[in-house]
Amino acid sequence: MSKRCLTALLIILASLATLDAAGPDRSRSYTLALHDHGLLYSAATNAGIDKDVADELIRRSGCKVTVSLMARARIWQLIESGGLDFSLSGITDAERDTFAGFAWYFSDKFYLLVRKDTGIRNQADFEKNDRLQLAVIRSFRYSDSANRLVDRLQEANRLSQAGGLEPLYQLLVQNQIQGMIIEPFDYPALQEKEIREISTIVEFPDPPVPHGLIMSKKAVSALEQEKWRSIIQDMRKDGTMLRIFEKYFKPDLAAALVNF
Amino acid sequence: MTSEPDPIPVTRLLPWLVLVAMLAVTWGLWDHERQVSRKELHAQFGFALRDTVGRIEQGESACGQMLRGLQALFATTDLTARAAVRAYVETLQLDANYSGIQEIGVIRWVPTARKPFAPVIQTVPGLGSPRETLGQDAWADPVRRRAMERARDSGLPALSDKLGAAPGPGRDAAPGFVLYLPVYARGEALESLDQRRATLLGWVYASFGMDEFMASLSGKQTPGTSLSLFDGVSPSEASLLFRASPPAGDGAGSRESALSAREYLVLGGHTWTLCLRTEKAFEARFGRKNDQVIAVIGICLSLSMALLVWYMIAGRAHALRLADAMTGQLRHMAQHDPLTGLPNRALFSDRVRQKLADADRRGGHVAMVFIDLDRFKQINDSHGHAVGDLLLRQVAKRISESVRASDTVGRIGGDEFVVLMGDLADAETALRITEKILISVARPFRIHGLELAVSCSMGLAVHPGDGSDEATLTRNADQAMYRAKGAGRNCLKQAADPA
Repeated sequence: MSKRCLTALLIILASLATLDAAGPDRSRSYTLALHDHGLLYSAATNAGIDKDVADELIRRSGCKVTVSLMARARIWQLIESGGLDFSLSGITDAERDTFAGFAWYFSDKFYLLVRKDTGIRNQADFEKNDRLQLAVIRSFRYSDSANRLVDRLQEANRLSQAGGLEPLYQLLVQNQIQGMIIEPFDYPALQEKEIREISTIVEFPDPPVPHGLIMSKKAVSALEQEKWRSIIQDMRKDGTMLRIFEKYFKPDLAAALVNF
Repeated sequence: MTSEPDPIPVTRLLPWLVLVAMLAVTWGLWDHERQVSRKELHAQFGFALRDTVGRIEQGESACGQMLRGLQALFATTDLTARAAVRAYVETLQLDANYSGIQEIGVIRWVPTARKPFAPVIQTVPGLGSPRETLGQDAWADPVRRRAMERARDSGLPALSDKLGAAPGPGRDAAPGFVLYLPVYARGEALESLDQRRATLLGWVYASFGMDEFMASLSGKQTPGTSLSLFDGVSPSEASLLFRASPPAGDGAGSRESALSAREYLVLGGHTWTLCLRTEKAFEARFGRKNDQVIAVIGICLSLSMALLVWYMIAGRAHALRLADAMTGQLRHMAQHDPLTGLPNRALFSDRVRQKLADADRRGGHVAMVFIDLDRFKQINDSHGHAVGDLLLRQVAKRISESVRASDTVGRIGGDEFVVLMGDLADAETALRITEKILISVARPFRIHGLELAVSCSMGLAVHPGDGSDEATLTRNADQAMYRAKGAGRNCLKQAADPA
């Protein structure tokens, strides 16, 4: 009887060890930073897509993760230096690929939001008109065409930067800027009557850009990154990710964002 | 004598082409350097902007962290534990790094149904003059209330709008702001907005003087930049929080080429507008002056190269002209008598062949006259060769003046001259011309005060009657001239005359 008990205990311990090996390293604690950005995360309500994804990641990993709020520029700086382990809803480029790993969970397009009174119908019109000013969030990168527009306008001293989304809408309403770049999760702000009345949307001719969990290569080993990537994949496969997005979007838009 | 063609136009244009090409290269280099310089200046300005934003954000973040410590204190003690709060602030040992903090305090939330209020229940002075008053209802002030609401709802540090100078003597006159952090009931869930509102106990806060806050930031403002900070997104004198410009005489002053940028900082859920602008000192410090050096050196080199090419081409042209002139001179010397300048035997012979060929082709007569001065040797012997030479020149001149422009006078020996006359309708014309020569030469010559008289004997042979070729004509004219000598000199004999 005691032999049987011992065998069962060993089997249970072995199973636990296997589980531990499959999941991320729990022997250390992690840091994850959110940034205040529309439906991704709102500091005013302490809620948003990224908050929900973070909560689910923490739950599934079983790891201790300290979540904080930071400016996006500071997040990228810390991800690069290894001072921060994770952030969410990040997009990549050649430079970011050198210091960050990603686990994609949604994909969307970028849009140019312009004031109606400018009469702008496409990206080129905006670029040609020297009187028009664009503002973006510091350290943000977008799709290829949007990035090119931002870089050219910066060169021409026609770009302002902000630490968050809210000042951009204020500037647009006050006609201090005539354009800004938005994503679908900025739509609720668009539903504000004033913004909708004064602005129009111009689509960039780029394919949707994948967004995902950002992992610092200096802080999280390649092997551990795979484990976190696996959790994100599981969340997509079992419909958790879709359910999170459906909390914030209509079902068809949520499905379009998550199924890419 | 045929003249050489002018140097090809490209050669003349070459210095200009070199100048234009060199100036074009200079312009290209200058423009490239200017672009690089501009990009570098932009990069430096971008760095200055990021650095300034980073310093302010870091300063605000450090104060937020300090306030979080005080917030954490209430996880173990009550909001009214005045001694604990004082002890905590003293433990912080606020030094010059926190010189912007005017005071740290605690506000209690009293959510009465009729009229909620939020009195300041404790203030601990920092390094500046306190802004808040003990017992003051912070909730009653809309500016403070907005920030307190944001802090309450988010659970995060919330920055107030710009606050003017607090009333009272000795108070800091500079604008400032207050940073609030909420304190919730211990052990309660804070996930939802309603939960956070329901469990609110009060706030901890720190008030700041703007000038002191900016002075306490780590690092220093990039030299040559002027910085302005405004509350909200609409810069105006009313919303001005802080302004710093380079000292006068340190390159301060606006310029059209100045770089400027606006950045909107979100600090504690509140927006500040940062305006950064470069002054002359910035460009002097970070700008490259290579473009001016390239322009000056390039223009000098271009002009030098063009001048060098022009000099080389002009030198070559001069050398060609010189060679051409010398060649002409040599050719003239080879074909003319050096004393009289008349064609010599070789050139005369060439002309004879030409005239005979013309006459054979077109008809007409050609006359050849041999002239020999009579007793010239005596003049030479009596007056010397110098006088003799001068006489020969004058004789040559008179003979040349006596013939037609189309005729050729040559000198073929010491005192022997020949005359070639072409295009003659008949032999009579030749006789008239020879008569003129005879009379002309017979006139006395005046040389060096001497009056010299000389005569000449002439022999005339006319083509085709007296010979159809040069040799025959020459021989016949020569023989006729000797016959004239034999006949007493100073006369003309024709080849056709009987011997």
